[in-house]
Amino acid sequence: MSSATSHVNAAVQTPITQAMAEGALTRKELKALMQRSNSPALLRLLAWFCVVAVTAYFIWLAGDSWWLLPAMFLHGIVLVHHFSLQHECCHYTAFRTRWLNDVVGNICGLVIMLPNRFFRYEHCDHHTYTQLKGKDTEMIELPNSLGGYFWYISSVPYWKAKFSELFRHSLGELTPAEKKFVPKEERKTIILEARLMVLFYAVVIVASILLQSTVAIWYWFLPVVLGEPVMRAIRMTEHVGRPMVYDMKTNTRSNIVSLPWRFLCWNMNYHAEHHYASSVPFHALPELNRKLEGYIHVEKHGYLGAHVDILSQLLGRSPRQDKNNG
Amino acid sequence: MADNWQTLISQDALEPGDVTPVPFGELVLAVYDTVNGIFVSDSRCTHAGANLCDGYFDGKHIECPLHQGLFDARTGQAKAAPVVRPLKMFKARVENGFVQIAPISK
Repeated sequence: MSSATSHVNAAVQTPITQAMAEGALTRKELKALMQRSNSPALLRLLAWFCVVAVTAYFIWLAGDSWWLLPAMFLHGIVLVHHFSLQHECCHYTAFRTRWLNDVVGNICGLVIMLPNRFFRYEHCDHHTYTQLKGKDTEMIELPNSLGGYFWYISSVPYWKAKFSELFRHSLGELTPAEKKFVPKEERKTIILEARLMVLFYAVVIVASILLQSTVAIWYWFLPVVLGEPVMRAIRMTEHVGRPMVYDMKTNTRSNIVSLPWRFLCWNMNYHAEHHYASSVPFHALPELNRKLEGYIHVEKHGYLGAHVDILSQLLGRSPRQDKNNG
Repeated sequence: MADNWQTLISQDALEPGDVTPVPFGELVLAVYDTVNGIFVSDSRCTHAGANLCDGYFDGKHIECPLHQGLFDARTGQAKAAPVVRPLKMFKARVENGFVQIAPISK
């Protein structure tokens, strides 16, 4: 049973009930923004495949030249953004047809080694306990030093955690913390999912060896490793350096970014809007951003502005917001 | 027994094809205008207690606005993670243009 279940008998104020109670959004507006459609995601997926194909082609073009590394990095940036699509699918807001979200979410999970079902449960508690230390399952703490900042962005701790998670789950083990958010009825599914994922990678590796092919290495594994620091840096912009309080008006940062980044992240730069109303699909988030203008915290200078804020806090040039508990 | 039905709301006041929150004593009930008629449940999600009336409703299923768990609004059955426990449903009818529920046994 989820840890969240303990709240069932109490009146729970969710961010969206708060926003409506405070007049930031009307019920009619919310209901209109929630409407689902398959078309926006299918169209974007088409463009997505084209972008993946083009960046993969750059790797092929680079051959053995010194362009290979930048080409793999570029392709990797695109590949790691499968996280954004998977995230949207895990909220069932990418497609109107619910099973399509499951299928696409699982495929994205295979691309970036993030088991879809497990991520869904983990992510639920992130939404329940956003930015609450010790409860938020996806919390990234404000580093104490430049070393800690670059260590996180290096993705070494991330991959260490993900490999260890997959290994443990495939052995049938969940940590006590994981058991809090994965219902007892679902633990077998999580273990099966991890085993199937390990099997999938084993098949890819064995097939690559048998076929004497290095395609998976140059076009998939290495680019993902090279691109992950970009995703880590982007994930930091969502909550790191924001107050560690329940209030969604302050604990989350939305970032105004350019079209290519919005395309890659499936509009998840509108992160505070997403936390306010996670049932609103990605294609309606810009409209929700306009409705919530002045109500939420928005970083107008985008990802770079967010990192300037984070760095100025950890270097002591502005007050650390992780000490701000409201 | 028939006299004990309690009136919740006028059918005209319901959000057409959607879910309407209706305060009822200490509870807030969710009144669903489904493709198969009117159904009533407790408005709180059985996972984390969010108000289902703020969720996405497609005429058959209600989705929790906080974690997107799914219930069949006609039966209360939990249909998709993270919800695993069914919704508390109330026997409901429409009488003379008003939505009514059968007496609640505690």
